Amino acid sequence: MRGKNNSTIRYFLVRLIELLITLLLVSFMTFAAFSIIPGDAASVILGPDATPAQVENLRQELGLDKPLYVQYFSWLLGAFTGNLGKSAAFGVSVSELIAQRLPVTLGMSVIALIMVVVISYPTALISARRPGRLADQICSVLGHVLFAIPPFVLSLVMILLTSSLFGLVTVGRYTKPSENFFSFVGCLLLPSFCIALPKIAMTFKFLRSTMIEQNASDHVRTAKSHGLSDLMIEFRHVLPNSNVSAITVISLVLSDILGGSLIVEQVFNLPGLGRLLLTGIARRDFPLLSGMILYLALITVLLYFLADILTAIADPRIRIK
Amino acid sequence: MNRRYIDSRRIFFITGGILLGIVILAFLVSLFWTPYDPNTTNAATRLLPPSAEHLMGTDNFGRDVFSRILSASKYTIFISFSGVAIALVIGTLTGLPAGYFGGISDRVIMLLMNSVMCFPGILLALVAVAVAGPSMFNVVWALGIVFGPTFARVYRSGTLEIKERDYILHARVMGVNPVRIMAAHIFPNLMSQILPATVIGLANMTLFESAMSYLGLGVQPPEASFGKMLSDSQAYMTRAPWLIIFPALMLVFYILGLYFISEGIRVNNSRGGIVR
Repeated sequence: MRGKNNSTIRYFLVRLIELLITLLLVSFMTFAAFSIIPGDAASVILGPDATPAQVENLRQELGLDKPLYVQYFSWLLGAFTGNLGKSAAFGVSVSELIAQRLPVTLGMSVIALIMVVVISYPTALISARRPGRLADQICSVLGHVLFAIPPFVLSLVMILLTSSLFGLVTVGRYTKPSENFFSFVGCLLLPSFCIALPKIAMTFKFLRSTMIEQNASDHVRTAKSHGLSDLMIEFRHVLPNSNVSAITVISLVLSDILGGSLIVEQVFNLPGLGRLLLTGIARRDFPLLSGMILYLALITVLLYFLADILTAIADPRIRIK
Repeated sequence: MNRRYIDSRRIFFITGGILLGIVILAFLVSLFWTPYDPNTTNAATRLLPPSAEHLMGTDNFGRDVFSRILSASKYTIFISFSGVAIALVIGTLTGLPAGYFGGISDRVIMLLMNSVMCFPGILLALVAVAVAGPSMFNVVWALGIVFGPTFARVYRSGTLEIKERDYILHARVMGVNPVRIMAAHIFPNLMSQILPATVIGLANMTLFESAMSYLGLGVQPPEASFGKMLSDSQAYMTRAPWLIIFPALMLVFYILGLYFISEGIRVNNSRGGIVR
């Protein structure tokens, strides 16, 4: 018993150390990428008309004249305390800009994730119960086709359908979450669905094959021969064992969902991180871009970590190994 | 039972081949002929619906949509193939040695690759292209780098499996140098795993590329690309739905075709079509 506990703790510790190293590497790569490219924040803020002396002054003020490793550590330290410097284009602090836009992107990602879980599980269960039957065939074909449609194309089709068939205006409608939370969620439903649909197809496919495997396994046959009801078998034996692969797949689709929401926001004209990113790109606002990349990568890394921990909880074999 | 699987494999290959064939045909035709010049604007023919003269109608600049679609498929195919080629090279050079040598080099290489994978891919590609300036070649190398780690993983896990086999051990005992073992003994045996990954990679890369050109960071105007055609016509879509429908269909045909073919290969492999 004690040995088992030790190995569990060790597993989590190793994962934690790996997480920290990854975070450090991610931050270093972000910083390095923005240091080697020509042009810096000072010249962007001052514009093309600035004299070299002005640029030099501002560089000193922003700390850009210090050696790179000093800059890196002060940037990293700032990132931990939520201070990523000032955006060159907006003149506001980067963290403030991100905080303003985060609700839309995060909201869409969360809603899309919920949709993935809520829709792919039941459909996979139904499909896997009788593979090859009509319900399974319909789900599988739909899954294959939906998997291949880019989210932004799906969004365009959805906009076309809702506007021409139902006369609904879905583009550019947005309510702040602080004003009315439910109408905020309402605005995000259709875009989230467009991001979620291909990922639902992907998760469905993986879940279905795992469940078919489970259904054919010995312990399910034993349970059946003991006279357990089908429903009992599904919930007590098949589902828990499918969770392991489900968590892996879902953690894989997470960063796609996040990236997808950056694009789909653009189609639906929602004020999320995607538009901020494009503004940053258009105005070559490096502090803003590096800050955004760091935060989004941070979120992804933490989600992967969470998925790993969840997998270990769902499957004890991984911990002991 | 057996019969059904053979059929499903064939269905995947046939539908995939047809869908992909349509796009490849468009690409081949565009090399020699388009009915109109894809980039010449003409105010007299703005937003015409599909007709015998303009098979897929015209856009808001009076350009023939059919010609533009032919020309756009050229870029889609070029970018996805060259991007995947770069990613394959990165994957081979990192994943194979990591899997073969193991130990510290494996840890370091995979940690680096995993850190690249921590960035949402599209974000990385977008920023890389934005910083280097939007152009077709920048899109290609940015996507190549973003997709490299995925292939590195496939190569690594395949190598880990193969290097335990007796003939590799034999080669090592004979004193064959590691580079030769990797190139001549392991690499060819990885094909059954690399092939489906490559086809899926082509599809995923096209998803990214189209999203990037939708945002205006891909192939630059006036050249046509599916993503850009879609974003340009969004404002006219209720008036001229053909502007959305045809590029969207071509894009989906290409991705779905690739996806079906990879699925066919996968089913083929798992049915013992290729010895693993």
